[in-house]
Amino acid sequence: MTDRQKVLNVGIDLGTSRSAISASNGQRHVVESYVGWPVDMVARKVLKRSVLIGSDAVENRTMLDLHRPLERGLVKEGSKKDLDAVRQLLNHLLELAGIDLEAKKRPSVRAVVGVPAEAMRVNKQQLRSTLEGAVDSLMIVSEPFAVAYGLDALLHSLIVDIGAGTSDFCIMRGHFPTEEDQRTLVAAGDSIDENLLKLVQEHHPEAQVSVYMVREWKEKHGFVGKPQGRVKVTVPVKGTPTEIDITDDLRSACESIVEPLVETMLDLLPRVDPEFQAKVRNNVILSGGCSLLSGLRPALQDGLDPIGGGNIQSVKDAVFAGAEGCLAIALDAEDEDWDRLVS
Amino acid sequence: MTAKDGEDTATANRRQRRHMLRAAVADNMAKPRDPRVRSKHARATAPASTRAAGKRGTILAGIALSLVAVTAGALMLRREAGPDMAPVATPSPVAPGVAASSSSLPSPAVPQTFEAPAAVDRSVFPLAVRRVVVDAGHGGADHGASASDLAEKDITFDIATRLQQRLEDGGFEVLMTREGDHHLSLRERVQMANANHADLFISVHVNWFDGTSVPGIETYYLGATEDPELMALAQRENRESGYSLGDLRQLLDGVYADFRQDESRRLAGKVQRSLYRSLLPVSPELRDRGVKTAPFVVLVATEMPAILAEVSCLSDRREAERLKRPRYRDHIAEALFEGIRAYARDINQTIEKGT
Ligand SMILES: Nc1ncnc2c1ncn2[C@@H]1O[C@H](COP(=O)(O)OP(=O)(O)OP(=O)(O)O)[C@@H](O)[C@H]1O
Ligand SMILES: [Mg+2]
Ligand SMILES: [Zn+2]
Repeated sequence: MTDRQKVLNVGIDLGTSRSAISASNGQRHVVESYVGWPVDMVARKVLKRSVLIGSDAVENRTMLDLHRPLERGLVKEGSKKDLDAVRQLLNHLLELAGIDLEAKKRPSVRAVVGVPAEAMRVNKQQLRSTLEGAVDSLMIVSEPFAVAYGLDALLHSLIVDIGAGTSDFCIMRGHFPTEEDQRTLVAAGDSIDENLLKLVQEHHPEAQVSVYMVREWKEKHGFVGKPQGRVKVTVPVKGTPTEIDITDDLRSACESIVEPLVETMLDLLPRVDPEFQAKVRNNVILSGGCSLLSGLRPALQDGLDPIGGGNIQSVKDAVFAGAEGCLAIALDAEDEDWDRLVS
Repeated sequence: MTAKDGEDTATANRRQRRHMLRAAVADNMAKPRDPRVRSKHARATAPASTRAAGKRGTILAGIALSLVAVTAGALMLRREAGPDMAPVATPSPVAPGVAASSSSLPSPAVPQTFEAPAAVDRSVFPLAVRRVVVDAGHGGADHGASASDLAEKDITFDIATRLQQRLEDGGFEVLMTREGDHHLSLRERVQMANANHADLFISVHVNWFDGTSVPGIETYYLGATEDPELMALAQRENRESGYSLGDLRQLLDGVYADFRQDESRRLAGKVQRSLYRSLLPVSPELRDRGVKTAPFVVLVATEMPAILAEVSCLSDRREAERLKRPRYRDHIAEALFEGIRAYARDINQTIEKGT
């Protein structure tokens, strides 16, 4: 690395279900956090690739050893495959952003990687050593912190990042968040999917449904509160496409996360300095894919009534809020910071 | 936290960001955890040792997992104790179906070792309290709460060591989860207690409240849940076990209302009372925050009565000052010891009488 070498800053959000990159060269991409390796020779021949990533992997899953490395917000302990998968994901994202890691004259890459708060607590070192080498300098931060940073909501705010594997809470008090400021729940997108799958299977035992199908239904039609209309989907029943009404199941599944989320807010907010409680209550920020659930924001806001009400807003770009925040950190960090983070 | 008069907000904001970035960098540079772990058993990798924990361990791990995985209203993981408070979401063979359903393709081939939960009743347990695991909260890069020059990890270690001395003098056998300033994962702490068949597990922490909240002491034990999801899960996992739904409910209730929880509650009560009573004269402003339930993972996964005591409050300046004095820490250790001894005395007496 020479002084004159050009620098490329990237922000990467490694999520349980989706991972995104936002780079200082203007590139923005998102992939599903799936990594799959062909199970055998045949699969390898058919697929003509040694590793598949994102929707490519999901579509070809029958031929793959498929991994979603950050299940429930952390890397399974001791799982080399999952650590490999994390690294593959990162490389893939860098490639998407037009960074050819093999090129001789490539810019020096400084990456800030946001991971679920749980992984930050449990796997930070592991992740560092896995990702080191993939980029020139590396900083790992927790996802909610990245979101707060990106929005410049560093003081008197509560970030609620409702993702797939986990919902992460982080109270911002103008300093780097400590353990006391953070919480993690597994009430999030995946738990809704699990609930929905179970309910549909129970009520339509004939129907052939998979977790992938219910996830899609949730993303398309999911809601909390009064239904706007009936939700009907088509599923194979003994091979015949059949329409079923999932309105009530969808509602219960989606609403299953409301109570835990509200309870956690009600538990966290009173711990804030009384002087600032009202400020924080009125500065709650929702991010993450599940924050897009229709009716969720108002339901959560109503949940604050017992402590005097509050104001909850959703980030504008739920998909890239994390990656953008990471990029903001990367851009703000100074050379001396990066020097200490050389990988 | 507001910008001083005359100080321009933009500058304050820039300074704040700078500050946070430095902290983020420092956080990234924290040393990797110290691999030294006292117990050989505790070092075994998770899946194997979870398996080795046997049937009871399997059940508890299963429950711990469902606590974490299934989520109901009450299931908040209080992030009190740093990295060590990770949920026991181990992807081990004990993982119930939920663990797999979202990751792999919906496949029935998940190894299912979640066995029929057996209600644990007192009579099947060796009741005498002999071996106590004392767990000094945090350690290594994980400082816990800190107030200017005091770190929670140092205070917990100091108090834990003093408690160890007292317990040993009192005829107990003591195992310390850590014997120095190094990081220990939650799992390692729990495994150590389980592998050594400890009779009690005492986790020592120091509280932190923001702002003007009244400082207080509180003691936790594992909380029960009404979670209908958990019932459903257990039912699913136990389909082959031959239990009826009614049986299952009873059995599960049994696990929740099992000996361990009752005993943990009693232990927590004794310790909390002793702490409060003996600290009050010295620290008149300390409030009795009482005995509480929470699904702290150390409490879920340990197989013996277990409590987590928040013995003081670092955010309170007066407490922080007092904590600097060895006498005060000694006082706290004494109070913990008295609580444990009172509990053990009860238990051991009950045994003599024959349960
Ligand atoms: N429009 C939508 N409505 C409801 N849910 C959605 C929508 N779009 C995505 N989701 C859900 O949001 C979740 C993914 O969110 P996000 O990308 O923030 O998660 P992640 O970052 O991968 O997970 P985590 O933060 O737990 O690591 C998935 O459960 C997905 O099904
Ligand atoms: Mg996320
Ligand atoms: Zn603590």
